[in-house]
Amino acid sequence: MLVATLREEIIAPLPSPAPAAASGAIVRLLTCGSVDDGKSTLIGRMLWDATSIAEDQRAAIIHASQNRLQNGDKVDFSLLLDGLQAEREQGITIDIAWRYFETMRRRFVVIDAPGHEQYTRNMATGASHADVAILLVDARHGVKRQTRRHAAICHLVGIRNVVLAVNKMDLIGYSEAAFRAIEAEFRKLAQSFNFARIVAIPVAALPGDNVVRRSSAMSWYGGPTLLDHLETLDVSTERRDAPFRMPVQLVLRHGDFRGYAGTIASGRVRQGERIVDARSGLGATVRRITTMDGDLTFAHKGDAVVIELDTDLDISRGAVLSDVQRRPINADVLEARLVWLAEAPFDPEAGYLLRTATDLTPVTSISVSALVDFETLASTPAHACAANDIADCRILLGRPTPLDLFADLAATGNFILVSAVDGTTVAGGVIGWAQAGAATVADNVFVLDRELLAKGLCSDLGGTPADLAEFHRRGQEAAILLRSAGIPVLIEI
Amino acid sequence: MTALVSHLKLLEAESIHIFREAAAQFRAPVLLYSIGKDSTVLLHLARKAFWPAKPPFPLLHIDTTWKFHDMIAFRDKTVREFGLDLIVHTNHDGLARGINPFDNPPSVYTDIMKTQALRAALDAGGFDAAFGGARRDEEASRAKERVFSFRAAGHRWEPRRQRPEMWTLLNGRLGKGETVRVFPLSNWTEGDVWRYIALEKLDVVPLYFAAPRPVVSRDGQLIMVDDERMKLLPGETPETRTIRFRTLGCWPLTAAVESEARDLDAVIAEVLSAKNSERAGRLIDHDQAAAMEMKKREGYF
Repeated sequence: MLVATLREEIIAPLPSPAPAAASGAIVRLLTCGSVDDGKSTLIGRMLWDATSIAEDQRAAIIHASQNRLQNGDKVDFSLLLDGLQAEREQGITIDIAWRYFETMRRRFVVIDAPGHEQYTRNMATGASHADVAILLVDARHGVKRQTRRHAAICHLVGIRNVVLAVNKMDLIGYSEAAFRAIEAEFRKLAQSFNFARIVAIPVAALPGDNVVRRSSAMSWYGGPTLLDHLETLDVSTERRDAPFRMPVQLVLRHGDFRGYAGTIASGRVRQGERIVDARSGLGATVRRITTMDGDLTFAHKGDAVVIELDTDLDISRGAVLSDVQRRPINADVLEARLVWLAEAPFDPEAGYLLRTATDLTPVTSISVSALVDFETLASTPAHACAANDIADCRILLGRPTPLDLFADLAATGNFILVSAVDGTTVAGGVIGWAQAGAATVADNVFVLDRELLAKGLCSDLGGTPADLAEFHRRGQEAAILLRSAGIPVLIEI
Repeated sequence: MTALVSHLKLLEAESIHIFREAAAQFRAPVLLYSIGKDSTVLLHLARKAFWPAKPPFPLLHIDTTWKFHDMIAFRDKTVREFGLDLIVHTNHDGLARGINPFDNPPSVYTDIMKTQALRAALDAGGFDAAFGGARRDEEASRAKERVFSFRAAGHRWEPRRQRPEMWTLLNGRLGKGETVRVFPLSNWTEGDVWRYIALEKLDVVPLYFAAPRPVVSRDGQLIMVDDERMKLLPGETPETRTIRFRTLGCWPLTAAVESEARDLDAVIAEVLSAKNSERAGRLIDHDQAAAMEMKKREGYF
């Protein structure tokens, strides 16, 4: 039956440009909770009941669970997810494991990240890829401090859909009162997070109640089973009228053709529409939206396309093509909340680069203002941060770059910080506030301008696109060197 | 509205995004082309990513001289058809020393003719990034791999030095001596690869489809006799059976399966139903070591 469904999908003509039915989409699940909460068992049980596991494989798993069965226990469903544990034991610093499965209705990706406090950065990294988070709590213990921290991390990286899976209901006699109390407590703590949807489901992973099969022991529960909910959940988070953004990845040239390649980060774009380059403010009309499969009339968020304009805007990688009315902020100062990922702590003297969707901007300075305790949600004034810390900070950029506020447009409102010295990713952050022209040139800021570079360092370069790119690269690298030598620098090229 | 596209189209867009990010961030990328189904999809996505221009990087094939003849014919046809640059690299020193898959243990043979050859070819070309077709669903140890997988000097993979990847932001700024393996198919499954081949009507090596072929049965494995270099053991006589291959590599080391799947539809049906069975063995326990060994043997990734 599964095969038949999949064949249908192949035979059906591909929709272009209108989006297809939700049933074909991918849903990325983050599972949060400690091992004791039954995380692997819950997902294993779902695979066992809902996917086409061959009979011989079932037999093998039952066989491997022999010892447990003799003790009157159930099949060890977590065996279906093995490997995750082993990977963790290898001591890999930031270990997220990815699992793939599909049911009759949807394709799922399970992102498994450790949930303990010392792994905050791992969880934040995993969560940044997820559409929905399953927060698992043990019905006997209810909401824990850790639950609050997990919810806060999910909120930080932009997850809008949360499932509170209250597990081990069988061990508390399937008590509705206990479930309702846990649900109420969670909804109260989640108020500060502005999730779009919270659904609480009472489950018992081991016997399989409300995972895939509706539980007969909890007739008081009228909501969906976990799988029902995941299969039908609308994971789109974008507002219907979201403004168009396409960060330019690279310029493609072929004969007379010159097009901007990129993935639509938000909104949609139509052939014949006016758009602007956010940095220069110059406008142009979309002549063609091309792909190898033919030209499109429309392109939507998520589409990887090439846009040809009617006029040459002389832009390159890092530019953001945008809605004419609602444009990104050309910011050179921003406030952000970030999770520190690197082993080495934040060093105010070190050189960092800000990596937004496709731009890489030298950082003039970063100042940490507070550390946030995600279990109490209290913030404490601070000037330093280290691995696993969540910090609020202010970042001055060496030149303006087009960006959005994360709450408005996630894909152009997030960033990573990159070490200028060894290239490692040291932090991931979301932009809460940004402004253009706020970083006024003070007396002690060195201005690295085009003239200065053209005179010496770049005197060998001409006007070809390759030379111009090299000009920018050298300017950027020179700024990084100056910055690491402790000289505040502003690039104006 | 997001996500409301068929999942293969979502995977395709994600892979194209990865190709473009790598091409924009690295100085000299190369695509590791190994002729099989994953390489076929990888190459198709590369063509889409840069269309109407050609992919701005060459293909690299490590030819051990033991690839099936059908594979080499397919490779040459593909390169001609799409007008691509192909670099073929063979470890001639190994060849001169008589290294071959019959007389040397598979691990020795693979290390010299594949892994060492790959390293030499990457160094010779001065490539700082190599696209590969590896997928996270292949085995447990790959389930945590990054999209940009960093290699220290000497192509060493150090798990602790891998970079966290948040959202869709890919950081390709190299440290001293570092190079990168880029995996655009990270989030694809074996089933996705076959369904995409059907969807896009891609040609694959005919060995993936069942046909009567000469084989010997050795240690419970069906070994196809591809040419006269086959060394038969006492008592072995090739017989004709209807077989196909699920994966393609060096011929005496890649076993065939008996199958009646003669076309794409039948292969997809077989893969999607057989997949779980294939995984069952290794999901449970004992095959972990073997899977690792296989990975080492593959050497590439």
